[in-house]
Amino acid sequence: MEASTKSQKFSDNLDSLGPIREFLSDSAKLAGLDKSRTYKLCLAVDEIATNIINYGYLRSGIENGIIDVTIQIENNQLIVTLEDAATPFNPFDRKMPNDEELKKPLEERPIGGLGILLAKENVDEFNYKYQNGKNHNIFVMNL
Amino acid sequence: MSTLSVKTDISNNAAIITLEGNLDSSTAPQFHEAVQKVIPQNPQELVLDVEKLDFMASAGLRVIIFAKQKLGSTAKLILVKPQDQLIETLKMTGLLFSVTLVDHYPE
Repeated sequence: MEASTKSQKFSDNLDSLGPIREFLSDSAKLAGLDKSRTYKLCLAVDEIATNIINYGYLRSGIENGIIDVTIQIENNQLIVTLEDAATPFNPFDRKMPNDEELKKPLEERPIGGLGILLAKENVDEFNYKYQNGKNHNIFVMNL
Repeated sequence: MSTLSVKTDISNNAAIITLEGNLDSSTAPQFHEAVQKVIPQNPQELVLDVEKLDFMASAGLRVIIFAKQKLGSTAKLILVKPQDQLIETLKMTGLLFSVTLVDHYPE
């Protein structure tokens, strides 16, 4: 498959979540990712985009923040990068529920931490870096 | 924009919430509201008909956990016809241990 890059900007509003998923699934389909893996990619990205909107920009006090979504297809990989200018937030610093906690009855479970778990577990690679004043959340699916 | 349709029915000891469309952080408040509405009825079964639910993010899972915490350990949580991707999410997050999956309700 030929290398390609496209990107689109979305506002820091929860109403952007649907359009972000559409942007991803259209590109994933063109790249030949199957339905189930496309869903997983959309879910992973959705969780991080939600955090950027609900926490990142809100806590930074930035209004009209932008999430830049870039989709690259190269070397048999589909790479999605979310860039935002909110306060640095490294998802790897966030405590995730461990296996033992995940097996507990729902009445005894903590309610948080599932979003980042879903972001990490649903893609082949998930990375984070802070560069040029921006958070970069990078999701990789092997094609 | 994502859209979610939420329908609520109460019958005998069961509360049935039918979810159609996309359940993400923008639409989860509608689901949360429906759950809040049925909690005072103290249903023994909370039935979520999710056959036509195409997407569920953690915002939806949190509402399910919230509902179970409010209804208590004796209440049964039933999911009707979840799509494969949703079953995968439930598995990954351990929620599958706490729900009963059925093809029809009532069976």
